[in-house]
Amino acid sequence: MRHDKIMTSANSDDVVVDVKYLNVIFGTKRVVRDVSFSVNRGEIIGIFGISGAGKTTTIRVLTCQIKKKYWIGNVKVTGISPAKKRNHAKILSNIGYVPQLETLNLYYDLKPMTNVETFASTYGLDTNDAKKIAENLFSILDIPEDTWNKKLKNMSGGEKKRVSMALGLIHQPEILFLDEPTTGVDAYKRYSILTYLKKLNRELGTTMFIISHDMECSLVCDRAAIMRNGKLLEFGNPKDLVASLPSNGIMAMFSIEDLNENKIEIVRKYPAVKTLIRTGNEAIEVLLDDFETNISKLVRHMIKKGIKINSMTRATATFRRFFQIRIQEEDEKERREKEEKGQVDKKEKAPEEIKKQDGEKRKNKAKKGKKRGETK
Amino acid sequence: MLYIDLKKWRSELTGKKTQAKEKSRHETGGFIEKRKRSFLRILRMIKKEFKLLWTDKFNIFLALILPPFIILLMAWTATTHGEPSAVECVVVSYDSNTFINPNNYTESKMDNYSTPYIQAVNKSELLDPILPSPPPNKTGYIPFFNASEDIYAMEKARTYLLDEIITIIIVIPIDFSEMLALGLPAMISAIPDSSKILNIQSNLNAVQDSIKIFVADNNLTPQFILEGFEEFSIPEDLSLEFNFIVSLILPLLSFGLALVLTILVVVKEKPIARLLLTPVKRHEILISKYITYIIVLIVQSLLLIISSILNGLYIVGSVFDLFIALFMLGFVGIALGLLISSQSKTKTEANQYFFMSFIVIIILSGMFIPIGSMPFYLQIVAWLLPLSHAGPMLDGILSKGKSVIGFDFYWLLGIGLVLLALSFIIFKRKQYEA
Repeated sequence: MRHDKIMTSANSDDVVVDVKYLNVIFGTKRVVRDVSFSVNRGEIIGIFGISGAGKTTTIRVLTCQIKKKYWIGNVKVTGISPAKKRNHAKILSNIGYVPQLETLNLYYDLKPMTNVETFASTYGLDTNDAKKIAENLFSILDIPEDTWNKKLKNMSGGEKKRVSMALGLIHQPEILFLDEPTTGVDAYKRYSILTYLKKLNRELGTTMFIISHDMECSLVCDRAAIMRNGKLLEFGNPKDLVASLPSNGIMAMFSIEDLNENKIEIVRKYPAVKTLIRTGNEAIEVLLDDFETNISKLVRHMIKKGIKINSMTRATATFRRFFQIRIQEEDEKERREKEEKGQVDKKEKAPEEIKKQDGEKRKNKAKKGKKRGETK
Repeated sequence: MLYIDLKKWRSELTGKKTQAKEKSRHETGGFIEKRKRSFLRILRMIKKEFKLLWTDKFNIFLALILPPFIILLMAWTATTHGEPSAVECVVVSYDSNTFINPNNYTESKMDNYSTPYIQAVNKSELLDPILPSPPPNKTGYIPFFNASEDIYAMEKARTYLLDEIITIIIVIPIDFSEMLALGLPAMISAIPDSSKILNIQSNLNAVQDSIKIFVADNNLTPQFILEGFEEFSIPEDLSLEFNFIVSLILPLLSFGLALVLTILVVVKEKPIARLLLTPVKRHEILISKYITYIIVLIVQSLLLIISSILNGLYIVGSVFDLFIALFMLGFVGIALGLLISSQSKTKTEANQYFFMSFIVIIILSGMFIPIGSMPFYLQIVAWLLPLSHAGPMLDGILSKGKSVIGFDFYWLLGIGLVLLALSFIIFKRKQYEA
């Protein structure tokens, strides 16, 4: 794991979230496994992973949504442990939460300012103070002033999203948790939401947690975590993580005529090739050891093997690609481990082997049947 | 201004070790301070509830416009309000027949008081002297059958009753004149059309009116007043129909509307999940809902009472007792509604629970089938339900002038508190995911 260094380098004064060996267990299922990380004040943290990776569960522990009986570990949020129920109110007054779906989390029939009043009152904020803060936030988030006192249901999707963000910040929290802030939003709005988040972080200095499976969120993150099957695979600066790939993440993007599995296997088996990803019908991306030395050798090898290269581009891997590579690596690692333990799935075995085993089973059954008949 | 605020804010947020403690300033302090903050939060939540209620205009209509409108509608449909319509009748007299005194076996054929009584009947404005096809009429306008002359007199009168030409037969007994001549109490029998149960009392009131006129015109002592006749009855100038219907409709409206208004209150409020990620407590959310709908209930009960009184509701007991009775029924409705709403995962589920519970409560309330005529075990179930106690409680206040405080009141209070406690327990355990 690449996050150990970062963990130790954090200044304890600035640490707002500290998680050590967090495990979440629901019944017999371990949903989060030994997750440890710490977050400094003012950082934007992205937590990425496919569905069921454990990212939302981890955040739900931090936001006091999961009872202590379901988790173990040492967790501190703004210096307070969510393990004790009496601390929940203190933690909740120090954090803000922007849920995924506005439809389920805003009062659509009320005005944005009434929503503000409602949520601000829960923190004991004075209505006038809350309105002033809301006006500031709405201005930062470019929510048109003429919509402030109209019903929320008449606002556009993007505006609702921004109102939701403003509500999360209304009590000036130290940490803001955002659950899938870009999900269900078109490409243009996605960028605009990320820009607003960065703007809020820059202007207010609020620490932000972005939970997402949209890798574009990494563009605004100071550090990103990748989770898979409840484990924290990576935690670090997205650029550093990409640079940790072979050849600092420099990769070759090939467009190959009539790309098929045989051709892919030829490239994959080339010794310098570390990782190969098929990215399209005729496109692959290849990570090599010592890119500058080996790329020309690889190209010559491919031509020699009759592979027709339409084009080749040299590029630096994106965080999205890093994520894919790491998940793929882990999948392969897990598969190898299973194979070693002899737990390989029946479907994955050679067909001859399965037939052989089935034949033996049938013979055994027939023998047993004969024996029973004899005893009768 | 904006810039300065943000600067100040940023400086507050950055580089302070004790910031966590400062930030949690809202959740520190002594017991009284915490209660004060909780109280303020509840107040704001109530404000939010009212704003949400106000956005749903149909709910406002249901809560405040519909109840007095229904009462007004009931008053309109009960046409006899204030001006009771005249009752069609015939008089069958046995007075001219030979009377044998059982004490001394003397015979007499006195009928000198029959005619004055028939005249009194004609005088009464509550009895209708006009018939579509007047039968043989010997004295004035009211059809009069003399049983001493016509042995089929009663059969003929019954035919009129059967054909709905009349609604009551007034029978003068054989000893009518004899008894009056001796200064003894005489009797008038009345045979009303009992298939129209709501009309029975107005029919009897009309007969009573004719007796009053007869007594006054003939300087007789008022010994015709039938015993028990006026007990718990509605005064003649008020509509019996309206009072009868309103005594059924008031508890139904109070309980039913409170239930309808609250069954979706929790289940449809999706942002509760987000509210729970703030320092607000679950019980504060539910308390705010209770207080909001109790305020609505108070207004609704007052509107119901005012509109009922204005339309001729007869209350022997105290108006305050009636208010408390309606409030208690509404409170049970709110508690049941919030319990259903807390328990349900979707609006559809809440509606299904509502329909199921409401139908059972109505059917077993005794409004349609008397509880006493139900099988024993069903009677036990019926008495456990809230609306079954509404009838006895309201009848006691409206007709008999009893106090609201009694078994039915305590039972309703008990049901309400149990439902309230259950709603808090269920809401406390309800899973929310923001």
